[in-house]
Amino acid sequence: MRIDWWTLSLQTINAVVLIWLLAYFLFKPVANVIAERKAAAGRLLDEAEQAKSDAQAARENEQATLAEMAERRSAALNAAKQEAEAQREALLATARAEAERMREEARAELARQATLGLEAQMKHASALAVGMTKRLVDRFPQSSLVSGFIAGLAAAAAALPPEAKADFEQDGDARLKAPRPLTAQEEADCRHALEIGFGRPVAFSVEIDPSVIAGLELENRHATVHNSLRADLARMAAALDGHDAE
Amino acid sequence: MISSPLELEIAFHIGPVPIAKPVATTWALMGFLIVGSALATRRLALRPGIVQAFLELIVDTLDSQVRDTMRVDPRPYRALFGTLFLFILLANWSAVIPGVEPPTARLETDAALALVVFVATIYHGLRTQGLWGYLKTFAEPSLFMVPLNLVEQITRTFSLFVRLFGNVMSGVFVVGIVLSLAGLLVPIPLMALDLLTGAVQAYIFATLAMVFTGAAVAPEKDAAPGSDGARHGSD
Repeated sequence: MRIDWWTLSLQTINAVVLIWLLAYFLFKPVANVIAERKAAAGRLLDEAEQAKSDAQAARENEQATLAEMAERRSAALNAAKQEAEAQREALLATARAEAERMREEARAELARQATLGLEAQMKHASALAVGMTKRLVDRFPQSSLVSGFIAGLAAAAAALPPEAKADFEQDGDARLKAPRPLTAQEEADCRHALEIGFGRPVAFSVEIDPSVIAGLELENRHATVHNSLRADLARMAAALDGHDAE
Repeated sequence: MISSPLELEIAFHIGPVPIAKPVATTWALMGFLIVGSALATRRLALRPGIVQAFLELIVDTLDSQVRDTMRVDPRPYRALFGTLFLFILLANWSAVIPGVEPPTARLETDAALALVVFVATIYHGLRTQGLWGYLKTFAEPSLFMVPLNLVEQITRTFSLFVRLFGNVMSGVFVVGIVLSLAGLLVPIPLMALDLLTGAVQAYIFATLAMVFTGAAVAPEKDAAPGSDGARHGSD
């Protein structure tokens, strides 16, 4: 076997040159484009990851915003409910106060109406009693309208306190009210009875007053000695008023 | 047809330098590879076409093979082993072209390729481990292995190119004999078998070159199988 050294040398050089040229024209460009693609894919993955992170952050932000809005809405609703409740309570309180006031006014009006009615009834009853009494008295003899009350006048005068008696004695302006004109005898009896009641003579003038109905009433500017059916009816009416008032 | 596997035919002379037919064929194959590569890589893009995808498949497979075999970053070795594989494959397959003699069927071509591997092994060993570190690899696993390891450097290089030479030369020789005896179409199955044999021999030569070089260089921790050993920068 014989080795051709020229060929061996040339083929060695050829191999080295081919290695160098293929490295430049083939392997290096292809390896570079593979590396570029890997880098681009890495960048795309990074960008996708970043976009995903951004989207996640945006979604979380949106959820936080929605939660905040829901919280604000809930707070606003609660505030509106509380305000409405307060207004309702205020309106109810005002309505209750108004109703109470109206009820009190109604009660007062009812009481006033009842009082007025009672007074009217009492007046009517008094008028009726006076009328009945007058009718009854008209059936009595006229003499009894005065003479029957003379003793009572003396007793009433005797029952006066000393100051009242002194006032009648000193005033000299006493009036003796009678339902009809007195006869001379009746006037004389009255003077005598008053003298007995006061213990001394009392000057008076006779005054006709049909409202007395029956009886005699002695009065001056300060006091009155009641001794008549009118005074009795008035006392009865007053007693009835006091009884109703209770 | 080759008259004798050990006889060289001189195609022409350049001055005093005789240019044998295998050398001329090698230049033609080199021209085809270089021009083809330049044309194929002229417009590379991030969205690859069919040709670019095929080239990327070759380069990616080559890188994976280097990482799996040598456990190192494939960038410094990509051009060496890739060129060896492509050239031997193309040279072996050139036998199917009528009148073309495969350069790898000549001892000088295979010896030149083995010589390149031998020198590259020493170069990368010194580059990665330094002089002392590279020399220490001859004393592994023990100092008594130094003579055997030294002899192995020579014998494995011989076995590398003799294996390639024997397989390719025998295929070509057999086809020539059958063609001379049986006629035109009979050698076709044998030629198809030669295509398979040529691909297998190219793969074996490149893989053994990786093994020899990988034994001389220190494995890198960041170039485990399946990891991305490629880094940006010039090769």
